[in-house]
Amino acid sequence: MAGGLRPQKARTPVEFFLQQLVNGVTLGGVYALVALGYTMVYGIIQLINFAHGEIYASGGYMGVILISWLFAHGFPPMVCLGAALILAMGYCALLAMALEKVAYKPLRQSSRLSVLLSALGMSIFLQNGLMLTQGVYDRAYPTEMVQGGFHVHGVIVSYMQCIIVGLTVLLLVLLNLLVYRTRIGKAMRATAQDKTMSALVGINSSRIISVTFAIGAGLAAAAGIMVGLYYGSVRYDMGFVPGIKAFSAAVLGGIGNITGAMLGGLLIGVIEVFAAGYISSEYKDVFAFIILIAVLYFMPTGIMGENVDDTRI
Amino acid sequence: MKRALSLLAVLMLALALTACGGKKDENKAGAADGIKIGSLGPLTGQYAADGNDMKNGVLAAIEVMGPEMGKLGPVTIQSEDDACDPRQAVAAANKLINEKVTAVIGAYCSSATIPASEPLMAAKIFMITPASTTEKVTERGMPYMYRTCGRDDDQSKAAVKFMTDQLKAKTLYIVDDKTTYSQGLADNVEKLGAGANLKVLGHEHVNQGDKDYSAVLTKVKAANPDVFYVSLQNSASAAPMLIQIARMGIKAKLLAQDAVYHPQLIALAKQAAEGVYLTFGYTDKTTPAYQKFLAAYKKYGEPGAYSAYSFDSTVAYLKAVKAAGSTDPDKVRAEMAKLDFDGASKHIKYKENGDSGSNYVIQVVKDGKFTNYWNPETGELFK
Amino acid sequence: MTIRASKLWLRYGLAMAWFFVLLWPLLGIKPEGLEFAVSFAIWIKVAVAAAILLALYQLNKAGAFGFLTRPAAAAGRVAVGAAARVPRWLVLSVVLAAAVSFPFFTERYAHDVAISVLVYIILGLGLNIVVGLAGLLDLGYIAFFGVGAYTYALLSVHFGVSFWLCLPISACFAAVAGCIIGYPTLRMRGDYLAIVTLGFGEIVRIVLNNWMSVTNGPNGILGIKSPGAYWWQGDTLEHIWLNNLEQLYFIILALAVFTVIAVYRLNHSRIGRAFEAVREDQTAAELMGVNTLGIKLLAYALGAVFGGLAGTFFAARMQFVSPESFTFIESAMVLSMVVLGGMGSIPGVILGAVVLIVLPELFRGFQLYRMFVFGGVMAMMMVFRPKGLWPAKRLGQRSEERG
Repeated sequence: MAGGLRPQKARTPVEFFLQQLVNGVTLGGVYALVALGYTMVYGIIQLINFAHGEIYASGGYMGVILISWLFAHGFPPMVCLGAALILAMGYCALLAMALEKVAYKPLRQSSRLSVLLSALGMSIFLQNGLMLTQGVYDRAYPTEMVQGGFHVHGVIVSYMQCIIVGLTVLLLVLLNLLVYRTRIGKAMRATAQDKTMSALVGINSSRIISVTFAIGAGLAAAAGIMVGLYYGSVRYDMGFVPGIKAFSAAVLGGIGNITGAMLGGLLIGVIEVFAAGYISSEYKDVFAFIILIAVLYFMPTGIMGENVDDTRI
Repeated sequence: MKRALSLLAVLMLALALTACGGKKDENKAGAADGIKIGSLGPLTGQYAADGNDMKNGVLAAIEVMGPEMGKLGPVTIQSEDDACDPRQAVAAANKLINEKVTAVIGAYCSSATIPASEPLMAAKIFMITPASTTEKVTERGMPYMYRTCGRDDDQSKAAVKFMTDQLKAKTLYIVDDKTTYSQGLADNVEKLGAGANLKVLGHEHVNQGDKDYSAVLTKVKAANPDVFYVSLQNSASAAPMLIQIARMGIKAKLLAQDAVYHPQLIALAKQAAEGVYLTFGYTDKTTPAYQKFLAAYKKYGEPGAYSAYSFDSTVAYLKAVKAAGSTDPDKVRAEMAKLDFDGASKHIKYKENGDSGSNYVIQVVKDGKFTNYWNPETGELFK
Repeated sequence: MTIRASKLWLRYGLAMAWFFVLLWPLLGIKPEGLEFAVSFAIWIKVAVAAAILLALYQLNKAGAFGFLTRPAAAAGRVAVGAAARVPRWLVLSVVLAAAVSFPFFTERYAHDVAISVLVYIILGLGLNIVVGLAGLLDLGYIAFFGVGAYTYALLSVHFGVSFWLCLPISACFAAVAGCIIGYPTLRMRGDYLAIVTLGFGEIVRIVLNNWMSVTNGPNGILGIKSPGAYWWQGDTLEHIWLNNLEQLYFIILALAVFTVIAVYRLNHSRIGRAFEAVREDQTAAELMGVNTLGIKLLAYALGAVFGGLAGTFFAARMQFVSPESFTFIESAMVLSMVVLGGMGSIPGVILGAVVLIVLPELFRGFQLYRMFVFGGVMAMMMVFRPKGLWPAKRLGQRSEERG
């Protein structure tokens, strides 16, 4: 008992600041990955995909299902993690493509609010589908797979945080290569700019939209798995709050802009953590939203957004 | 416009007609003999896990008590979902009134229990809550309102006593997640702690549904308290909190409360849950009553925090009905006051205001199990 | 079978295979081992149901049900023709009579659901001004509902102000809140607006949840008074509290009728046309001399007024308010009513509110499957009726819609 009450060295304000920065960047990395899905889908069909948060949750669940299966069959931890990551990303890509075919494609010609509502319906549907198949209890991740961390000048950095930030950066680099260096990326950008014109030059816009959904979902799945490993559990309604935050992040960065989404995700994460750390934890979301509103007030299209046309709803 | 309006008229008529039809059916159902018990709790949404535990407790009790009811039976359950939302809770309560239930076991969130109790009381239907610990639930002078679990004010007393007497703590840090329950407890502990020479270093709030507590925990670490009081609404939010506390390397003793009690907590937080103290209603798991409950509950999995309370609430009501020989509310009320029996969770004896008293003890998570640790009544450790 | 038909069945096969791939990992992979029985059992049910639906669809297309559909369509035409000849006042009075007599042949539960429906009709019509008429996407509308509810709750508990006096006061407060929210958003368009309104909605909820000294935080406010009235008890005029469900039903019915009339008049006024002009083309509207900024603010304020009215009633009806009633999902529900019913159409919004409140209640029988079925039905309704259940008739056409 006495050991527990041992006095600790008081921490300096600088250490406190750095620790909060580490916390914020980790959280922001997750938001950024989820925000990318929003922003990519928005960029290409101007739809706020409300079901995106649920895809992220499905990714988390797929992760726990696969990791525990692989773990039980005696694969080494890193193999489990890698295989689960790839398979879950594939699964979510298929899920998102199915979602797009069933709920969004028939509404391509309708008003944007109709699609929005269909997305909302699918979000409720998927969330409760997860609840029905996976139960109402949280599912535990084998957190013992990645444990420990290191100290740098009194700042604790866990290996899991390193993995999250590292994987986020890796995925973002890959995504940038895909979008700016490949034919399919070029086709995506063309479709995002003008569907009719890109169809005229022989781009199958329907396929491109499918691919976009798949990529966004893959990133969300990766985020879901990392969140599961980091916080130790997943649950069927875990997609809702990060979904809203990531959507805000995408808008903050300038919706439709990939770099903007990354920046927005990081910003929202850091703002939230600093607001909680320095001002008030119960009002942290208020600060995040106030900064969002202030940014949009002075830059009505977000930090990196281009000037969009008068978009009707 | 005309076409539209006429269509609307037809629709409304159809609706009214179906409502009429529905009414007749309900009358038929109501005429059937037997006891219908309502179960009200969050079956969907954030607290779905606890709501299902409660419903399963009622089911287990009906299984045990059903055959004993003789010609008053059969006992049936009508379970409704309130999603912990006041509006849905009131709608569900009205539905249960329509379904002619004579007692409602529920609800979970105090913010659902309080509004739902209003129509139930007006219809003279018993409401026995197995989970809402806010003082106000039973302090509104409602004749048919009962509570089988303990009260927040008693729980916070036990918590503070444990911190000062057993842990000999001098400093305290509090976190709650802003629900009627968790904040009520945290505020009480803060107030009582200040009176007991416990220095409160900080009181932070997190939002429900958050998973990232790192910002708050960094503050806690910097403050370095003797005891860290974690007041959260359920085990699902507590598990990530414990994991992050362990990761941050916070050395303070952790004290939580009864809502956090769930086998899930240990399954999720694993090593990180070791050594966590929590205030919990004392349940002697060796009594025959508890064993009987456990046997009946087996098929629903492991009991959650409120399964046994929910079981006892149902048993208490059915015992009172059996003694009264009918479901007449006033006769049953007279019998409820006379109840005095060993329930699965504790000894059940309802007071005049509907409370059944609190018997909070301190439990600790040891070797992956909740074990009784310290008794605030005697100030001694359990053996 | 024609080529088209075989292609359809091919796609059916593909879709079902896809569905199995999505379903099986969720149910079949367990640490103990792989398992197919459960997922296959579910899959086969869905596959058979889908096959039957598809077959019916094809038969219908081939005209196999002609003996049924043709007379039905003819009867429908006759009915519509007959309905069109019925004078509007008659239809209106039948609707009103049905609504007024509703409580007399239904039970408590139906009253409760009907009251909820009417509250949401007011909310839907209010949001309809912002979204349907002025074309501004608002994801935080429920904040005004909250402002109205808390205004009455606080005034009633602390100062004993009566419900009737609070109706206009709450409406004013909500209108002010509407302007505050509306102002920063004036420069934004489309989806930027959506996130800002969402943000404001969340801010209001978080403040309600945290401002302990005023709102009592998550505990909510208890002991709100019902509407009062003077009524003859025997031969003396006495003050009574209107707190049973039937009386409350009539109050909210009156409020809803007032809202319908107000919104109808607004639709056909100069302001209503200005709203539509802003929705259709802001730049052109400005060119034509519409003060677009003022009109947008007015839309927010007017929408908020009805939110505030509904909120006041909600507080009086529940006699309890807590921040949990004002979450984002509620905003989404109200928006769904507007879109599902048909944007800009009054009977459409009413129908949308009826459907979205009554459906989850009807699905209570499904227990755990309730929201699952509800979400699916909501998406499917949009897929099959993308313009809403009861689309509004527009004056004129846009150029890209022609031809």
